Amino acid sequence: MSTMGKHLQRLALWLFTVLAVSGVLAAGAEKLPDDIEWLTNDSDPVYASPQAVRGGTLHLALLSFPLTFRVVGPDSNSSFRSAILGNQLSLIGIHPNTENIVPELATHWAFGKDKKTMYFKLNPKARWSDGHPVTAGDFAYTLTFMRSKKIIAPWYNDYYSKEIDRVIVYDDHTLAVVSTKAQPDLHLKLGISPTPRHFYKKLGDDFVRRYNWKIAPNTGPYQMGKFRKGKYIFFNRKKDWWAADLRYFKHRFNVDRVKYTVIRDINIQWEYFKKARLDVFGLTMPKYWHEKTKTAVFRKGYVNRIWFFNDTQQPSLGLWLNMDRDIFKDRNVRYAFAHAMNIKKVIEEVLRNDYFRLENGYVGYGPYSNTKIRARRFDLKKVEYYMKKAGWHRGPDGIWTKNGRRFSVEVTYSFEGHTPRLVVLKEEARKAGIELRLQKLDPSAAYKKVLEKKHDVAWMGWSTSLRPHFWEHFHSVNAHKPQTNNITNTDDPEMDRLIDAYRNSLDEKERIALSRKIQQRIHEIGAYVPTFMVPYVRQAYWRWWRLPKPPGTRHSDDLFAPFNSATGGLFWFDRQRYEETMAARKAGRTFPPVTIIDRTYQRKPANP
Amino acid sequence: MKLNPQTIKKLQRFRSIRRGYYSLVIFCLMVILSLGAELLVNSRALVVRYQGKTYFPTYAQVIPGRTFGLDYDYETNYRQLAERFCKAGRGDWVLMPPVPWNPYENDLRLDRYPPFPPSIRDRHYLGTDTMGRDIVARLVYGFRIAIFFALALLAVNFSIGVSIGSAMGYWGGRFDLVFQRIIEIWSNVPFLYVIIIISSIVVPSFFMLIVIMALFGWIGITWTIRTTAYKERAREYVLAARAMGASDMRIIFRHIIPNTMAIIVTFAPFAVSGGIVALTSLDYLGFGLPPPTPSWGELLQQGWANLEAWWIVASVIGAMVVTLLTVTFIGEAVREAFDPRMYTIYE
Repeated sequence: MSTMGKHLQRLALWLFTVLAVSGVLAAGAEKLPDDIEWLTNDSDPVYASPQAVRGGTLHLALLSFPLTFRVVGPDSNSSFRSAILGNQLSLIGIHPNTENIVPELATHWAFGKDKKTMYFKLNPKARWSDGHPVTAGDFAYTLTFMRSKKIIAPWYNDYYSKEIDRVIVYDDHTLAVVSTKAQPDLHLKLGISPTPRHFYKKLGDDFVRRYNWKIAPNTGPYQMGKFRKGKYIFFNRKKDWWAADLRYFKHRFNVDRVKYTVIRDINIQWEYFKKARLDVFGLTMPKYWHEKTKTAVFRKGYVNRIWFFNDTQQPSLGLWLNMDRDIFKDRNVRYAFAHAMNIKKVIEEVLRNDYFRLENGYVGYGPYSNTKIRARRFDLKKVEYYMKKAGWHRGPDGIWTKNGRRFSVEVTYSFEGHTPRLVVLKEEARKAGIELRLQKLDPSAAYKKVLEKKHDVAWMGWSTSLRPHFWEHFHSVNAHKPQTNNITNTDDPEMDRLIDAYRNSLDEKERIALSRKIQQRIHEIGAYVPTFMVPYVRQAYWRWWRLPKPPGTRHSDDLFAPFNSATGGLFWFDRQRYEETMAARKAGRTFPPVTIIDRTYQRKPANP
Repeated sequence: MKLNPQTIKKLQRFRSIRRGYYSLVIFCLMVILSLGAELLVNSRALVVRYQGKTYFPTYAQVIPGRTFGLDYDYETNYRQLAERFCKAGRGDWVLMPPVPWNPYENDLRLDRYPPFPPSIRDRHYLGTDTMGRDIVARLVYGFRIAIFFALALLAVNFSIGVSIGSAMGYWGGRFDLVFQRIIEIWSNVPFLYVIIIISSIVVPSFFMLIVIMALFGWIGITWTIRTTAYKERAREYVLAARAMGASDMRIIFRHIIPNTMAIIVTFAPFAVSGGIVALTSLDYLGFGLPPPTPSWGELLQQGWANLEAWWIVASVIGAMVVTLLTVTFIGEAVREAFDPRMYTIYE
C-alpha cells in the first residue's frame, strides 16, 4: 500500500508538472509586460556527490512489459510510464530538500500580478533528443495535444481545458502559461512540459495505434534504446545531454545504461537479485528486511542494506467511518471506536516495529501539517467512558449494546496482506466491546463500495499531493452522495467554512494556518482513525553501487531511481569495487556485512 | 425399525469390508469430536473454581475478568487465570481444555514473530500460523466447518439433482429433451469464475456459498439418476403402481427413488470429499469464507507462502489426507457392499 501510495504521489507530482498544458494563442499578438520581476535559483544546496563517476549498467526488473510507450491514451497508465516521464523535463522543478523552485527547461520565471500567470524564459541550449531545439511553441503544442480528442484521454482533455487557460508565446524562448483561475502555489500547476510538435505533426484518428511503440523525443538525461517486447528495454544516457552541467543536474544520472528486464514474479526477482542479475531490490516489507536477507550474499557482505528515512507526504492510511450510518452519528461512539483500535499492538507484534503510528492524515506536508495532533490511543477506560456517555451498555457477549443493537461494524478492505493486521485489531477491539466484521473484497469492488458510501468502516488510504487537499474529502458538498471522496460523509458547517477559506486564500501564511485548523477539526470530528506510516525506504544493493552523503533527499522514495529530475540518478557505479567483489565471490573471500541506517531526514514525533 | 433383509445383507457386507468399516468409525469419531470442539480446543476453561463457587464458562456468556478479581471488563483470559490461581495457592483452580487456544486469538510475543514451531510447553502442539493462531485449533474448527459444509452441500445438491433427474427419466419426452439442453448450457458456465466474480463483489457467508455451489453442483447426479429412472420406469412395479392410479409424484418419490437409493448412497461419500476439496480450494484462492473463519484452504495458502514453516503445510496436508482417505475408503466400501453382482468376475 505504501509503495503504491508513494508511486501515486510521484504520479500526482508528474501530473502537475509534466502533463499540464496548453491553450494555443497566436504568437506575437501580446506583449510581454515590462514590470515583471524575473526570478531564478542558483543558490539552493546541491545534493549530488562530486565524487560520482560515469559508467556501468543498472539492471532493474519489471513485473510486466508495458502495453504501450505512449504516456497518454488507453493502457498508458502503467508503472513504466514513470520511467518515460522521468526523462521528460518541465519548465521548472521543485528542489527535493528545500521545496523551492529550481530551473529545468526554463532558466528564469516570473509571477504575474493577476495571480493567474507565470512567465518563463527558456534555456536556449535546451534540445530534444533528436537535436531539435526546444521552443516556446512546443509548450503551446502541449495544450493542443492534450486537448485533442484524438489522443483518447478524457482526463487530460478535461484537465488541460479546465485548469490551464492558455500558453502565450512571445518569442522562441519566452512564454507565459495562464491558469483558468487565480490560486496559490501556481508554480505547481503551470510548470508544464513541452510536447515535440515536429514529431507528432498533425494528430490523426490513428494516433493510439500509430504511436503505441514509437519512441517520442524527450529532453531528459536518457532515451529509450533497444527493446524486445515482453523481454527487456534499454535506456541509454545521451552522449552530450544539454542539461548535464546545470547546477542541480551536475554529477547526477551517472550510469551509461539502464536495463529493465521483465521478470514476472517477485520471488523470482529475488532469486535474480541474489545472483547479481539485478542490482537493487526493495526491502521495505518487514519479511524481506528481517527474514529473507538472512542469506549468504548479505552475510558475506557482497550485498549491502540501507534503511533511509525520508520526510515526505504520507498517504492517509486508516479507518474511515461512514457517518451516514446511524451508529456513527454519535461523536462519542466514534471516539470510542478510535480508542478501541490497538494500533500499537499491531505495530509491535505484527509489523515488527517497522511501521510508525500515523498521528493525522496529513503528515509530511511541511508547515501545512499540524504536528500537535495526536491520534487517539488504545484505551479501554476511555472506550467505556464514551460508550456510557452515549448511553450504551455491555451485552451478555461482552459487546456494547443499545436498544437491542450491538456495536458490530463491517470493515471493508481489499489487500490480502493486511489480514494479519486486521485480525489483531479485531481481537483487541473485542476486548473493548466492539465487534469488527472483516470484509475482504476485490480492490475494485471495495473501492466501488466505499465510493458508493455503502461501507460502515473503510480500511484504506488516499495518495498524496504536494499540498494537502481537504475539499474532496471533508466538504459537505461531497457528502451523502455516491462517487465522491468524502467517504466519511463529513457534513459540518465549521469545516465547510474553513475549507472554503483555505481554497479561496492566496496567502501562504493564512493557508498554512487554515490547513492546521482543518486538521484539528478533522481530529475533533473523529470519523477518521489514522493507522500507520512508513516514512522510509529500505533497499538492498550490490556493494559496487555508491550513494552520495546523505544517500537521498527529503522526498526520495527510491534511492536507485535512475530517472526523475528531482530525486533520481544520485548513485553511481564503482568499477574497482565491482571487480574486487567479483574476484572475492570467485575466491570465496568475504567482506563485513553492511547495514546503513540513515536518519538525516527523520522527523522526530512532536510529542512521543 | 424393521429393515428389509436385503438392506441388512448390504450392511453386513459393508461391515465385513474392514477398511471401509473402520474408516467410517474414525470418520464418525472425528465428526462427533468436532461437534464438541469447544470442550477440547478452546481458550475458555472447562471449569473454574473460585471462592467456593464453580463456573462452567464453555457454553456460557462472556464472564468478564472482574468476576475473578482481575482488573478488566473484557473476557477473562483463563490461561493467565490458571497461573494466577496456581501461584496464589488459595485452593482456587481452573481446568483448561487439552488445547487451551481458540482459533481466532493471536498468540503474539514481543521478541519473536510468528509462525512459531510446534511446542509442548506453549501447548501449540502443531505450532502456530503466520498470525500466531494455534494450528490445532484452526484445523479442528476448520474441519467442522468443512465437513458440515460438505454435508449440507450434498443434501442440497442431491435433493435438487435426484428430483430433477428422476422427473426427467420418468416423464421423458419433451420435458427430458428441454431439460437436457438446459443442463448442457448451464454446465458450460465456468463455475469457478462465477464464484470468483460473486465473491469478489459480496463476501459469501456459509449459506450463500452453499447456494452458489449448489447452483452448479446438482448437475452431476442428475444425469445418473435420469438414466436409472429411465430404466426403472419400464419395470413392472411402476406399471402396476400406475395401473392402481398412483400419481406421478407418488410413483417418483415412493417407488422410483427408493429403488435408486443404492446409486445415491454410492455417490454420497465421493460428493462429501468433493465438497471438502471445493471449499478448501476456494479458501486457498481467497474466495471462500471471509477471514478470520478457520479454514484449511487458508492454512494451505499460508503454508505454501511460508514453506520454511514446514509445520503449517505438514499439518494441513496431513489432516486433508486423513479426512479424504477415510471418506474415500467409506465410499469404496459402500459401493462394493451395494453392488448386487457379488460374485461377478470381470473378464
